[in-house]
Amino acid sequence: MKDKRIIIKAENLTRRFSSGTAVDGISFEVRQGEMVGFLGPNGAGKSTTLRILAGFLTATDGNVQIDGLSVIEHSLEVRRRIGYLPEKVALYPEMRVSEYLHFRGRIKGILGRRLRARLDEVKSLCGLHDVSGRIIGHLSRGYQQRIGLADALVHEPELLLLDEPTSGLDPNQLRNMRELIKTLGQKYTVVLSTHFLAEAETVCNRVMIINHGRIVASDSPVVLTGLLKNKSMVVAEISGAHTAVGGALRALPHVTGMFWNPCRSAEGERPGEEWNRYVLECDTGADIRGAVYAEAARNGWGLRELRLERKKLEDAFAEITGNMG
Amino acid sequence: MRNIFQILRRQFLAYFRSPLGYVVAAVFYFVAGLSFCRLLAQSATDSLRIGDLLFGSAYFWLGLLAAIVLVTMALFAEERHSGTFETLMTAPVTDVQVVLAKFLAAYMFLVFMLAPTLLYAGILHAYNAAGAPLALKPVACGWMIVLLIASFYTAFGLLMSSLTGSAAAAAVLCCLGMGVTFLGESLQHALRSTMVERTVAQISSIQHVLDFSRGVIDTQPVYFYISGTILFLYLAVKSVESRLWR
Repeated sequence: MKDKRIIIKAENLTRRFSSGTAVDGISFEVRQGEMVGFLGPNGAGKSTTLRILAGFLTATDGNVQIDGLSVIEHSLEVRRRIGYLPEKVALYPEMRVSEYLHFRGRIKGILGRRLRARLDEVKSLCGLHDVSGRIIGHLSRGYQQRIGLADALVHEPELLLLDEPTSGLDPNQLRNMRELIKTLGQKYTVVLSTHFLAEAETVCNRVMIINHGRIVASDSPVVLTGLLKNKSMVVAEISGAHTAVGGALRALPHVTGMFWNPCRSAEGERPGEEWNRYVLECDTGADIRGAVYAEAARNGWGLRELRLERKKLEDAFAEITGNMG
Repeated sequence: MRNIFQILRRQFLAYFRSPLGYVVAAVFYFVAGLSFCRLLAQSATDSLRIGDLLFGSAYFWLGLLAAIVLVTMALFAEERHSGTFETLMTAPVTDVQVVLAKFLAAYMFLVFMLAPTLLYAGILHAYNAAGAPLALKPVACGWMIVLLIASFYTAFGLLMSSLTGSAAAAAVLCCLGMGVTFLGESLQHALRSTMVERTVAQISSIQHVLDFSRGVIDTQPVYFYISGTILFLYLAVKSVESRLWR
């Protein structure tokens, strides 16, 4: 990725409002072909950063270059290279889908045959052919989001800025939109903001965690998860008196913490049998499943579940920001 | 130029795709038509000039000013409120293009709405009992001042709309501004100061209408309305630009 050209270069970006500082001296680079996710709780400064990149706001301090051009000095040229989908996708409800995309294409400088070809392409890509003659105001939120995305793509931008592209969608629409964004990632450089943690983890190849206007971590989701809190979790359901089981498990090597709760009674349990569910937090990279099994076998306890869980980015995110977003 | 045309076209057509455009035009025609009929009936007993018949009614002006308020209040306020402003301003269009396109769209709608009132002059000509030819100069001058005043207040309404995210607030601000210039004469009597009197006399739209509808062309109001329009449009561009640092 290092040999690819730099598409976004932000240096010491700061944006202050009368209500406080939304973005506080952040610097980052995005290279061609990257799929970067800004992840953070609400009010972390993600949207403000994207608005500065899109040329809708100016930074109070610092500067941004898109493809080597200053966002302030070459605002129009930069806007031609950006496809921007705002957080609140707002369209003209009285227009028809085709007419709206045609209008947007023309004000973005795409004309004639090229515009017709592009409209065809984006409508296919975003699944809008069926509704292209419909009035926008009559369409569902999911379709409106797709129209917003088609608009962002119509002029074949170098860079796509998507501000919470899946917010407000139902689970079906959400899955489709994520698939679509993944497809776009193969062709475009994409920066998206989200507070859906699974989204950043599954869609992006780099995640920047933003909190209180600062970037607190930036890496691939896999590395980030590992770096931030690389603790293994072993989940086990064991029958036996908790005092004995809990004590023995807690004493196993590499165990740093333990949570437990009684299981609900299940079919096939013998009367009086006590089943508990244990979650054991272990040292980095440790897998203590063998030791748990051996301990259960040695003491004659029943064992009906034993699995290793990697801590998800979601947990790391909550830990860093102290907020579940 | 292409961008101005595209934005203008969208905005102009939007008036006809919502009830607003039709309601505004219908109410205006109703009010203007009634006042014309009333003046026509009055002219049977009193001697009225053609300019007074066409442009001398307070109802005609109230109807026109109300139409201007309704047509301009949403130009920017609604876009800000709905969020389309962000989509529009992140496209490669300049602030000047957006302001000019919106102004021209609203102005064209008003001219389009006013055009049928030209028929009134035709009616007067057709049913002129005395058989004398219609005096064209007062009619032309009257139209000139109507168009100038409409452009001035359209630009003012657009500026007010650019200042706020609420169409209702924009309408109130616009009405206040109109009150000062249009009803300036009442202010003149209330304040009783030579300085205010002179200023108000210069900017009183009623006085300008009275002069022009008698066929008297005074260049001062012409400059006043044209430069006022340009000033308001310039301020609207600055107001739109303020999104960058607000």
